[in-house]
Amino acid sequence: MNQNLFTAVCKGDRNKVKELVNSELAGNTSPNVILNESMIPAIRNIGERFSKHEVFVPEMLIAARAMQAGLDILSPVLAKAGHKALGKVAVGTVKGDLHDIGKNLVSIMLKGAGYEVNDLGVNCPVEKYDAAVQNGATVVLCSALLTTTMTYMKDIVDHFKSNPNVKIIVGGAPVTKDYANSISAHGYGSDAYEAVQLVDSLFKSA
Amino acid sequence: MPQTSREIVRRSLDFDTPERMPRDLWVLPEMERKHPGILKKIREAYPSDFAWLPGTSNFNWISSVYNVSPRLKGNPYKAGEYIDEWGCVFDNVYDGIIGEIKKPLIEDISDINRVIPPYEILPSDYAKARDFVNSFCGNSDKFVFGSCCPRLWERIQFILGTENAMMDIMLYENEFRDLLRIIHDFNLKELEFWASTDVDVLMFMDDWGCQNQLLLRPEIWRNIFKPLYKEYCDLAHSNGKYIFMHSDGYIIDIYKDLIEIGVNAVNSQLFCMDMRQIAKEVKNKITFWGEIDRQHVLVSNDLEKGRAAVRKVAESLYNPKGGIIAQFELGTGANPDMAMVIYDEWEKIQKR
Ligand code: B12
Repeated sequence: MNQNLFTAVCKGDRNKVKELVNSELAGNTSPNVILNESMIPAIRNIGERFSKHEVFVPEMLIAARAMQAGLDILSPVLAKAGHKALGKVAVGTVKGDLHDIGKNLVSIMLKGAGYEVNDLGVNCPVEKYDAAVQNGATVVLCSALLTTTMTYMKDIVDHFKSNPNVKIIVGGAPVTKDYANSISAHGYGSDAYEAVQLVDSLFKSA
Repeated sequence: MPQTSREIVRRSLDFDTPERMPRDLWVLPEMERKHPGILKKIREAYPSDFAWLPGTSNFNWISSVYNVSPRLKGNPYKAGEYIDEWGCVFDNVYDGIIGEIKKPLIEDISDINRVIPPYEILPSDYAKARDFVNSFCGNSDKFVFGSCCPRLWERIQFILGTENAMMDIMLYENEFRDLLRIIHDFNLKELEFWASTDVDVLMFMDDWGCQNQLLLRPEIWRNIFKPLYKEYCDLAHSNGKYIFMHSDGYIIDIYKDLIEIGVNAVNSQLFCMDMRQIAKEVKNKITFWGEIDRQHVLVSNDLEKGRAAVRKVAESLYNPKGGIIAQFELGTGANPDMAMVIYDEWEKIQKR
């Protein structure tokens, strides 16, 4: 592990991340190693600390942005080396709801953790999630911040009921585990870190 | 002689044993439209102790006092595009609630000179505006709100976009403070007008919480925002006014700070937090201006949940000397029948 790179991602030092990724590549470190041994552990670490309330939303956002800066450099190299994402997922805030901070954190964390994320934005009708599934996403993550829009998650679960290959994970401030169970969602996460853990476990068991 | 509404609220804020708990009801426009009959009944049975100046429209705060900004376009509560008096552009998808910023006013915090506060909306004739407000206050025995509610953080989010605002505060503190100053100076000017009138209370707001955590590191909040909020409190108190604050989300970490700077009453999502801990830390030091859980209780069809919620607040925070205003918001999706039940339960508790 490159400790400096790990720290730079955690601290959200975008320029330092770029510099260190470039110098690792120049020194012939494999892009997989850079990603898997320094960057992914860093973003997971920050997510875990956020989950424990040791880190706050702005710090998460800055770390994610630094991670992204590193990924921008690494992605073409990874693609050339035939690297595959851990899986394809789609993330969106449900129809009628414009809250996106939490959804963005979930999306960023999943990207950081090595997944290919199709971020569908806010106010997403079922059709949008469906299109993402047509495009290869096998896990659909739905966010809702309003009790009035959270009920739409049931429509989404029902829509994909006949497709056993698609798993639905739900979350957002008013959503609870009980609610997720009541609509037969495949998972509920209380924060962005849990979202990653859930997706990990779904892909492992698939 | 029975106490007037104004006296009831004052006594409650001063922990001076009002004859009953004050009442306040917030209703989002969508609910007004959907349930006029029920709302009329509620208001007859349990009139609010608070009053707003006529012509004050929610969120625009345009009354006979203000001028309309030429920048203002549309209605914040209508689906479609809305441009506010600062020129911030919103996109809304649903009638009756507000939307979200479409595109930040400035993409880069160093573009600060493009941020022009809407001084044009402030009264053209201060004496005339003051007379209007004062005559309303003089004719009302309710506790009258100043019709403005400045925000610092929310305005900065509207200007920069939410995520940029959150990152810029960490990365460009000096520029962030400069931008904040522009907003703050405008806020002070607006509050100064209201402080010079006979209204009873000034207020300000900003949402500081997520569901179970403060949005910002508390030290950053203390360092950057608290001193500015203190100026609002000082302005109110030096003019003999009370001052209220609203913040959504989990804010237990800053209640003590709010007390320290002089906030008299706070409207917050009590049900996101551990109410016993709140009681332990700040009961009898600040007034709780509501709430009842909007996320799980007010939207429920089970009216017993409303009663239980009132009992829960009472068990932790009730003191017959004061410290609670029976307030809640009937927002989108709320069950309007809850209102009667909640007020009724508060009455029972007070009779005990
Ligand atoms: C910021 C905010 C806003 C901002 C949103 C800015 C933005 N770009 O998102 C603005 C001002 C625009 C806004 C508007 C409104 N809001 Co608002 N808002 C909030 C507030 C204060 C914080 C939300 C937030 O961003 N938190 C920070 C993020 C990081 O947390 P989060 O979203 O919860 O996400 C975390 C977890 O939940 C989880 N998560 C989220 N999604 C997912 C998905 C999956 C799959 C998983 C596993 C996990 C997961 O991970 C995240 C990170 O750990 C909450 C208060 C609260 N208690 O949450 C009210 C709140 C959600 N809003 C509320 C309301 C009522 C509204 C409005 C209707 C108000 C109005 N007057 O019209 C409008 C509706 C706009 C719309 N059409 O959608 C109410 C909802 C009540 C209810 N009945 O459910 C709340 C709870 C406030 C309250 N007083 O009760 N709001």
